[in-house]
Amino acid sequence: MTTVIQTCGLSKQYRRVSALSDCAITLPEGRISALIGPNGAGKTTLLRLLAGLAKPTAGEMTVLGGVPRQDPAFLAEVGYLAQEIPLYRRFTADDHIGIGAHLNPRWDAAYVRDRLRSLNIPLDRAASSLSGGQRAQLALALTLAKKPRLLLLDEPVAALDPLARRHFLATLAEAVACGGLTVMLSSHLLADLERVADHLILLATARVQLCGDIDALLAEHQILVGPRKATTAIEKTRTVVQAVRTARQTTLLVRGNAPVVDPDWESAEVGLEEMVLAYMSQPSTGLDAASAISHLTTVGEDQ
Amino acid sequence: MTWLVWRQHRAQFCVGAALLAALAVLLLITGLQMASQYHSAIAACAAAHSCANLSSSLFLGSHAVGFLVIMTLGAPVLTGLFWGAPLVAAELETGTNQFAWMQSVTRKRWLAVKAGWLLLAAAVWGGVISALVTWWSGPDNALQLDQFKTGRFDIMGIVPVAYALFAMALGICAGVLLRRTLPALAVTLAGFIAVRAAVTLLRSHYISAITVTHSVLSAYTPPGSAWQLGQQVVDSHGNLVAAPNGAAIDSIPLGYLPASCASPARGAVSILPSCRDALASFRSVVTYQPAGRYWAFQGIETGIFVLLAVVLLAVAAVVLLRRDA
Repeated sequence: MTTVIQTCGLSKQYRRVSALSDCAITLPEGRISALIGPNGAGKTTLLRLLAGLAKPTAGEMTVLGGVPRQDPAFLAEVGYLAQEIPLYRRFTADDHIGIGAHLNPRWDAAYVRDRLRSLNIPLDRAASSLSGGQRAQLALALTLAKKPRLLLLDEPVAALDPLARRHFLATLAEAVACGGLTVMLSSHLLADLERVADHLILLATARVQLCGDIDALLAEHQILVGPRKATTAIEKTRTVVQAVRTARQTTLLVRGNAPVVDPDWESAEVGLEEMVLAYMSQPSTGLDAASAISHLTTVGEDQ
Repeated sequence: MTWLVWRQHRAQFCVGAALLAALAVLLLITGLQMASQYHSAIAACAAAHSCANLSSSLFLGSHAVGFLVIMTLGAPVLTGLFWGAPLVAAELETGTNQFAWMQSVTRKRWLAVKAGWLLLAAAVWGGVISALVTWWSGPDNALQLDQFKTGRFDIMGIVPVAYALFAMALGICAGVLLRRTLPALAVTLAGFIAVRAAVTLLRSHYISAITVTHSVLSAYTPPGSAWQLGQQVVDSHGNLVAAPNGAAIDSIPLGYLPASCASPARGAVSILPSCRDALASFRSVVTYQPAGRYWAFQGIETGIFVLLAVVLLAVAAVVLLRRDA
């Protein structure tokens, strides 16, 4: 299987602030990768670097076999949709379709028109007069009409209602199933992502915490429930991601799937949301307690 | 790309074309009237042998249209304000650059095509206005011989084209550096006025002026539509004579002259011979740029502003291509 994205030591510094540091990820072809992380974790920075809109301060990346660059051939293969859904306010959907048709070698204008018609979005009205959800649908359709091999979507479903969200993600999954397309999309909506994503990249405080196939990641983690006692024996063979201690029992989320010998501990499978939340709230990532709590509450929140 | 440029700017293009058309109609009608007025006045004065003071007795055209023509001094900067400054700044401000730059077109080409068409539009705007004004002012120039003077020089010939190109480049560059339309507009306006004023001050030095020294008793006017820069009076030793501040004869203060000049006979038909001799020792020094240098000056000024425009565009391109989107 070919690799679409590979980065090594990728870092981006904005003045004194590190937006992304030492990022190493690999994304194979044909996956839908969920890019997850608290606000300010570096998701947008990573997507912009991969799209070639920003240049890294350090590190290397290979996207579709080359370095992201100002080259028509590269730009034709990558679709990027920014979080703020940029559209020309005074232009109609038809105008935008015209721009795409004039500036791209492959362009499926009929696809955009059909999609907008099926969503009852007018083609002849200025973008500024469309609703937020309609604008998002238009921008998504335009991004897909470019027929890219890699789609980078920054919170694409945030502006959509639950039904439209489900519909859109289904379209995305369909397009990927047809082959030749790889998707990386950031979102806070874990439940939605769980339905379509088969790959996960978790960022927190500008660093990559997890990167890999969701099934493999889940298999690597387990929950251990046992009496309140020292966990040093467990920590020898596994990494404790999160430990919750009450007066009588200890619940651990650990990485490392070796069976537990000690009969005091009961092991259980871990769910995606549990795992993600555990990583986001773990203090070892450098988050202080207060911000960890605030990050927790933002997860799964519709913007 | 050209399609995108046209789609984005067609409204402004139509407004600009309509304004040019209106100006053209107005100047054509009044210009033809002025020309016929001028020719009949020339014929009349030639018959009466009184053409020498025609320039003081004949007024061509109307004050309102004349004022409008002077106002074309400000026309070139409009391109920078309405087209140049928002070109990049408006896209950065609304984030639409992230849409445009993710189509299969490099940023370099995007900027080159957009700036290229708009510079062409600016040149046409400046050129058409200048051509109309130059033609319209023809009779007036022949009458007043003042097309070399500041305020006339700047609205005729080829310099308005260079001003428009400069204004456009300044607007684009300000937009790229400031990333916001309104501050870019302000900087474009202030920068244009400042640079125009500074270069206007330098203008008389493009080529060293011609100096003519003559007796104060004879009058001297540089021939044709020359640009007279100054006139000074020096005494027989070459010392500068202060400008008159009170009674004076031939612009020489009485203090420099013998008492005979201050006699009551002054102002009479004849000046006392002793006074005349004293006056003859003074020299008047006239500096001017001859009329024949008009196009050389137009060329030099055009060159200066085109060069400035190139520098500004280069800065804009380097910053835009190097910086993150």
